[in-house]
Amino acid sequence: MYAQAFFVAVFGLAAIGFGVVVFRTSSMVRSALALLFSQTAVGCMFLAMQTEFLGVLQIMMMATEMSIMAIFMVMFMMDPGGMGGMDMTHQKRFSIGAGVVAAGVAIVVAFWADWGPVTAEAPDAAMQTRALGMELLGRSMLIFETAGITILTAMIAATAVAIPVQTTANSADKEDTE
Amino acid sequence: MNFAVVLVALLGSVWLLAVIEGWTTTGRLRLTATLLSGLAYLGRESIVPRTPDRVFFETAPVLLLIVAVLGAAVLPLAPTLVIADLATGALFINAALAYVLVALIMAGWGPNGAYAMIGGWRFLGQLIAYAMLIVMPITAVAMRAESLVTTVIVVSQDGLWNIVYQPLGFVLFFIAAMALAFRAPFDLPTAPGELGGGVDAEYTGVRLAVLRLARLTLVITLASATTVFYLGGWHGPLLPPWAWSLIKTLAVAVSMLLAGRYLPRIREADLMRWCWILGIPLALLNIIVVGLLVLVVP
Repeated sequence: MYAQAFFVAVFGLAAIGFGVVVFRTSSMVRSALALLFSQTAVGCMFLAMQTEFLGVLQIMMMATEMSIMAIFMVMFMMDPGGMGGMDMTHQKRFSIGAGVVAAGVAIVVAFWADWGPVTAEAPDAAMQTRALGMELLGRSMLIFETAGITILTAMIAATAVAIPVQTTANSADKEDTE
Repeated sequence: MNFAVVLVALLGSVWLLAVIEGWTTTGRLRLTATLLSGLAYLGRESIVPRTPDRVFFETAPVLLLIVAVLGAAVLPLAPTLVIADLATGALFINAALAYVLVALIMAGWGPNGAYAMIGGWRFLGQLIAYAMLIVMPITAVAMRAESLVTTVIVVSQDGLWNIVYQPLGFVLFFIAAMALAFRAPFDLPTAPGELGGGVDAEYTGVRLAVLRLARLTLVITLASATTVFYLGGWHGPLLPPWAWSLIKTLAVAVSMLLAGRYLPRIREADLMRWCWILGIPLALLNIIVVGLLVLVVP
């Protein structure tokens, strides 16, 4: 019990620490990977709380997602390496205020909410995976399938928008350059 | 105890693979040459490029080695010879190997060099090509075993290995594993012929030694995964289970080596095109076929 609390705390602090690094560095790649390791630490917290499937899934998903985010940040930011000394933050007072208020609300909710009785013993990892599978393919199937189709539609739409429209004029240009 | 045995087996396999690689390249079988050249790296100057991202530069080779060993931690050599027999083993190996990408991006970005950086980002494109062909065939393997536990997956192949039960999945996984381990013909991140070593380009001395060791360990881990998922793991006559696991793993690793030797390097755009247009539909077909087999054949 104490060991579990200790590891949850350590990974929690690591998550916050990496979260701070995200905003303290000017390098876009560093920032993206710090966010990745912050999320990995959250995955490790899941593992420490004996929710193996969720922990492993979180650790796996974030690696690819944050790496792809890193390349987009490098493509679109003016000083991706952070070596030009550019200040890329803005609305500092407002964001500090918003951050402090949000943190305060989160702490108040964490302490005042009725979390219900604490589970004495978590079911073993294989049972959890099975129960999760049954939930995803049973009661929650419609919600997840709807979300999946919506995301797929958005992806196809975004790709379609990104492809340049072929008109007679620019297709002739293209043939010339080729 | 298991940890020490698996680690020694991993190191031994890496050494044997390096010896075989040297043998096929030079035509001479020299058992100590690999060890000597490994030691020579330690004595060489380890140069740090100008204005590097020092954290990334130093972390990347070690991270690559750690993820390769973590991947091997859930793969059994024998029924009880596994470091961690996790309930989500087949998912965990995906999670560990996802960080190969992170390590290569770090190794590419860290040294502040053009060739290395192109090599690192290229691997991101490569991941978009191969990722689904790793996950979908493993899904079909887990469907047959009705479990994500790697030891249960091996037990499910008693009598009929998955290479026979789902040959399509095996072919896709084998190709994707070669791309994940960035072996030729998918060695775009290092591409010695055009990028001067890519992510390897700026590494020297002991750091390069760790990077090379990590890369060979990754090949062994993926060969071991292929053995566990498709070649019946420890199953085999006469010899003890661990011996079969090692023999099969080495055979897969050597076949990856030989396949790479005789195939031309593939452009990343072509790799992505083929993986998405042909690979993913085939992987879906494999899932459907395995699903039907699981339901119809008792």
